[in-house]
Formats: sequence, C-alpha cells, structure tokens
Amino acid sequence: MHDIRYDELHDEFLVVNPFADAILTFRRGIAGQESPVRIIQGPHAKIGGNRLDVDPVHNEIFVPDGNKIRVYPREANGDVSPIRVLEGPDTQLTRAESLSVDPVNNILVVGFNKGERDPDNGAILIFNRTDNGNVKPRAIIRGPKSGIIRINQMAVYPPKKLIVAAMPGLVDMMEPTNAFLGVWTYDDNGDVPPKWMIPIGPKTTLKKPFGVVLNPKNKELIISDMRLNGVLTFSVPEIF
Amino acid sequence: MTKARRSVKMWLLFAVCAAFVIGIYGVARAAQGRSEDRKPITIDRAPQRVIKDPYPSFSAVAINAEENMLVVTDENLYQILEYDRRENTPPQARLTEPKRIISGTNTHAEMMCGVYIDPVTKEVYVLNNDTQNWLPVFPRDARGNAAPSRYLSAPHGTFGIAVNEEKQEMFMTVQHQNSVVVYRKQASGEEKPLRTIAGGDTQLEDPHGIALDVKNKLIFVSNFGNAHVSPPGSQGGRRSAETYGKFEPPSITVYPLEASGNVKPLWILRGSHTMFNWPSHLALHEERQELFVANDADDSILVFRTTDKGDAAPIRMIKGPNTTIKNPPGIALDVKNGEISVASMGTHAVLFFPLTANGDVKPSRIIRAGPANQAALNIGNPGAVGYDTKRDQILVPN
Repeated sequence: MHDIRYDELHDEFLVVNPFADAILTFRRGIAGQESPVRIIQGPHAKIGGNRLDVDPVHNEIFVPDGNKIRVYPREANGDVSPIRVLEGPDTQLTRAESLSVDPVNNILVVGFNKGERDPDNGAILIFNRTDNGNVKPRAIIRGPKSGIIRINQMAVYPPKKLIVAAMPGLVDMMEPTNAFLGVWTYDDNGDVPPKWMIPIGPKTTLKKPFGVVLNPKNKELIISDMRLNGVLTFSVPEIF
Repeated sequence: MTKARRSVKMWLLFAVCAAFVIGIYGVARAAQGRSEDRKPITIDRAPQRVIKDPYPSFSAVAINAEENMLVVTDENLYQILEYDRRENTPPQARLTEPKRIISGTNTHAEMMCGVYIDPVTKEVYVLNNDTQNWLPVFPRDARGNAAPSRYLSAPHGTFGIAVNEEKQEMFMTVQHQNSVVVYRKQASGEEKPLRTIAGGDTQLEDPHGIALDVKNKLIFVSNFGNAHVSPPGSQGGRRSAETYGKFEPPSITVYPLEASGNVKPLWILRGSHTMFNWPSHLALHEERQELFVANDADDSILVFRTTDKGDAAPIRMIKGPNTTIKNPPGIALDVKNGEISVASMGTHAVLFFPLTANGDVKPSRIIRAGPANQAALNIGNPGAVGYDTKRDQILVPN
C-alpha cells in the first residue's frame, strides 16, 4: 500500500489496495484481521491509482490515476462511479500519482511521478477542490529550481496554505542524491524552489523519504523513509 | 453633450480597469519572481525520534544441503545472508552471525522477496519486488557491496522463483502483472522471457509463490486473491480503461510445465478448508508428492498432497504458540536431511522442523538474527505514513 489517511472527524482510516483496485475504509481502534467497513471497487468505480486523500468536511475521496483525478463520495460502498473526474488536455495531468486536499481553502494539490523511462521530471499542480472535467490548473510548480524529480505522499497545512511533499528522487537509484522533503505554498507558481526543505544526509539520517504527515499539535513532521524502512519525526515549529 | 460625457466616463472606466489588471499582473509577476528567486530554508537537523528495526526480517530462504548453505533475503536491512544450515542459536545468545553478507547500492538488490541457489555453481539468485526491477546473480564468494556477476532486467513486482534445472529454465511470479514469466536460466540484461502465462483465464490473482513438479510436469502458483478483471479480448493491464479489481479467495493454481499465454489452470485449490491466508512461498517434495505452503497471515505452514483439488484441507499443519512461527513468507525443503526451513519474518528467525512435523510443535533448531522474544517491526517499503490525531498513533502501511 502506498498511502494511508486518517479521517479524524469520522475516526476512520483509508487505504488503496492497488492489487485489487479498491479503496478500503477501516474504523480506527481495530487490530488483527478485521474487515473494512466500506469497499469501493468494481467496473464503475475503476480506482486505478495507488494513493488517495479524504475530505471529511465535504465527504469526498480523491484518487489520482495518471491523467485523471477521480472523486468518490466518502460514504460510498461497492461499485460506485466517481462523482467528478478531473481529466482532459487543459488539466495537464499526465503522471498524477499523489495528491492532498484542503477542505478549508478549497484547494487540491497533485504530485507527478517520474518512472525510469519518463523523460520529464515531476511537478506539483494546484487545482480548486471542486474542479471537474477539463479544467486548467491554477498553478504548476516544476523545473530545475524546484528540485522536483518525483513525488510520493503529499500533505497540506490549511492554516498556512502549505504544500508538503516527500521526494524520493530517481526511482531506479537506491540512494539518490536528489531526494528531500519540500514545502511550498499555494501561491507558488513556476520554477519555484521550496520555501523549506529537509535534506537527506548524515544529520537528518534521511535517505529516501516516501511518506509524510503533519502533526500540528506538536509542530512535527512525520516522515517514512523507504531505504531506512523506518519512520522519523522532526520538530519543525518554524513551518507551523 | 450627454453622449460626450458618457464617452468620457467609459474611457475613465476602461483606464481604471486596465490599471487594475496591470497592477494585479505586476503584483503576481513580482510575487512569482520573488518565489523563483527565493532561497529555500534548509532544516538540517536530527530527528526527534526514529522508529526502525535494527535486525533483519527474513522474506525468503533457500538451502543447499551438500554445501550446508542456508541463504536468506532480508527485506528490512536489504541484505542477503548466508548461514551454515546446521547452526542453532543458543537461547541466551543475542543472535547468530552469518558467514557472509551481501548488501549495498552496487548489488542491484534491495527489497528482496525470492532466492534460489544454483545446485551446481552455488550462485545465488535473488528477486527484487516493488523497488528495483532486477534479478541479480552472485557468485559463491560474493560478499559486501558486491556487484552481481550478471543481472536480468526483470518485470516490476517479481516475488517467487523456481528453476527447471533439466531444461535450464527460470520461472518467476509477477505480482504487479498477475503473471508467470519464464526465462532462460542464464538470461541477463534486457533479455525477454521465453514465454509468459497471463490473462483472465489463468486466474493468477496476485501470484506469490511458485513450485515445479518436474516429474509430473506441473507448475504450482499461490495467489493472494487480488484479481484484475478484463473483458475477453482486451489488452488487459491494471491501468487500461476496461480493467477493474475484484477480491477472490486466496488459491493455488496449477498449470502444465510448458504452459504459455492465457491458459486455464488444470485445477485450483481454494476454499475455507484450505486455511489459505496470504499463501506465500511454496516448496514441493517430489518424492513424497507433497506441497508445502508458507501461510503468511495465518502464522502457519500447510502441507497438501500435490494432487489435492478444490476445498481440500491440509494433510498436516504446523501452527501454534510452540512453533514460534510469525508471518512466514518463506519456506525451503532440505530433502537430504529431512528438514523444513521457515523464514519467520515476524521473529527475525529461520525455524527448522522435521519434514513430517504436524501441529503445535517446537522447532528442532532456530537460527536467530535478532534477540529472542523481540518481535520484528515488520515495516517494509513504507510508501506512506498516517497519523491518528485522536490516539497520538503513527500508522505505517507496507
């Protein structure tokens, strides 16, 4: 599984099972082999992607799938069609692999992957939360100054309008030199360096950051690192 | 007069609007310019906390009885370790040191799930799963950050490996493509498979383990049950528009040894009596005509007759607290010495049992790579992380 999201409002967590093309919602507090409370799966649902995010305020689940973003009702169960699909040439969606939704400022940020044979590096695209169909992004962050190669898990911090993205670097390198964790703002557009970055290296001990989640209460970033097979927490009061 | 006034007003309105638009554009450009020019603030500091298992987690095991070689792949620290198969870690000892370790960025080996020892050359073949698309082969004396003697560009998501030594063919399961690919055993570089078993009729559903019965010319494949459904005649593939996912019960599907293409299984072992729960690596005892299954999510080893079909119950099962089996993905048979070796990922250990062991039996020997009674964290390729704000808990998917 390449994503997990906790929905505090409903005390549930959600994952995508990519091998069965399914969104699974579990109630929290469970352990062992308890079944999910809801499964979205089937020919109409057509999940496609590996990652997701949940908007508990507007009751929606977002799933990136290459050239499209599908949006499902949060409480859907079974073979349910998406209620919106963001798709078309104007969206500039090509390798959408990750996303995060901000229900307060009504923003959707999308991260692009870069496979071994993809000529272009990744990017962050910023849309309105409710965008539907063939809609242009509000902004695109990409280019050499941005340092973006490919993006794994993303998070947003609505109070400060921040985008936080885990960048594990080139996919075929075990310990890439260009991996980092980057923080941008919703106002960024173009070839923009991150406002803050947590580098890999001897001090942070990070090697290949794959996942990131925020803990605003303790002003922490929690990062999972694939090469370390570990989870690291960083105190970063300056960004909160 | 009125007309002239209106015209002036219109011009004034136009000028104000134009100035506003230019102003906004200017501010936006300036802001963008500022962003593009900004220097990132680098937060280069030590983490507050680190959650990480310092000991190996064994994902697969292979044995060569003649050379007393026991080779395991470690999915946690990304190592290949060789032990003397006769080792037995004393209960008070922290761990047993391996005879050699192969690990590092030169190895082309990372999140390894499968291992094979060449019975003649004693070369070690390992399969990467989700993070690297290589099958590296290491010579008998490789150690440290050694480059493999050769490597094959393998499909993404390989898991199980079995070799038909008679025909010098190498079989691999591919989780991400619901397929079995067959290569020349000596294949390297970008060489293509000799044949592929794939398609809706195969009922390959998240395939993991693979075993060959060369005598009866059969392939056995274990499946977790994550299926992709594609309409007949479609190209298939997970991301194609007409493909969708479906949960099926876990199974073992059986094919002819020479099968190729979208072939139906000869028979299927599936159902609640089989006890399958993430059936992972398989091992086949040709003489006894028994199939051994590492049943990962059930903390058990299941044994079936190779002819069992449908919802058959295992003829033997090693399971229970005395066995100390925890999340066993790997299994290998030592026919010469009559032993089963089990890679117990949840306990940093390889456990040994007699071939005919049954029930809640203690292992006859244990090779531990970590302290006794210290459970493994089982963090493997953590692609994401979550945080439960109500319980102050970190959630890690694998």
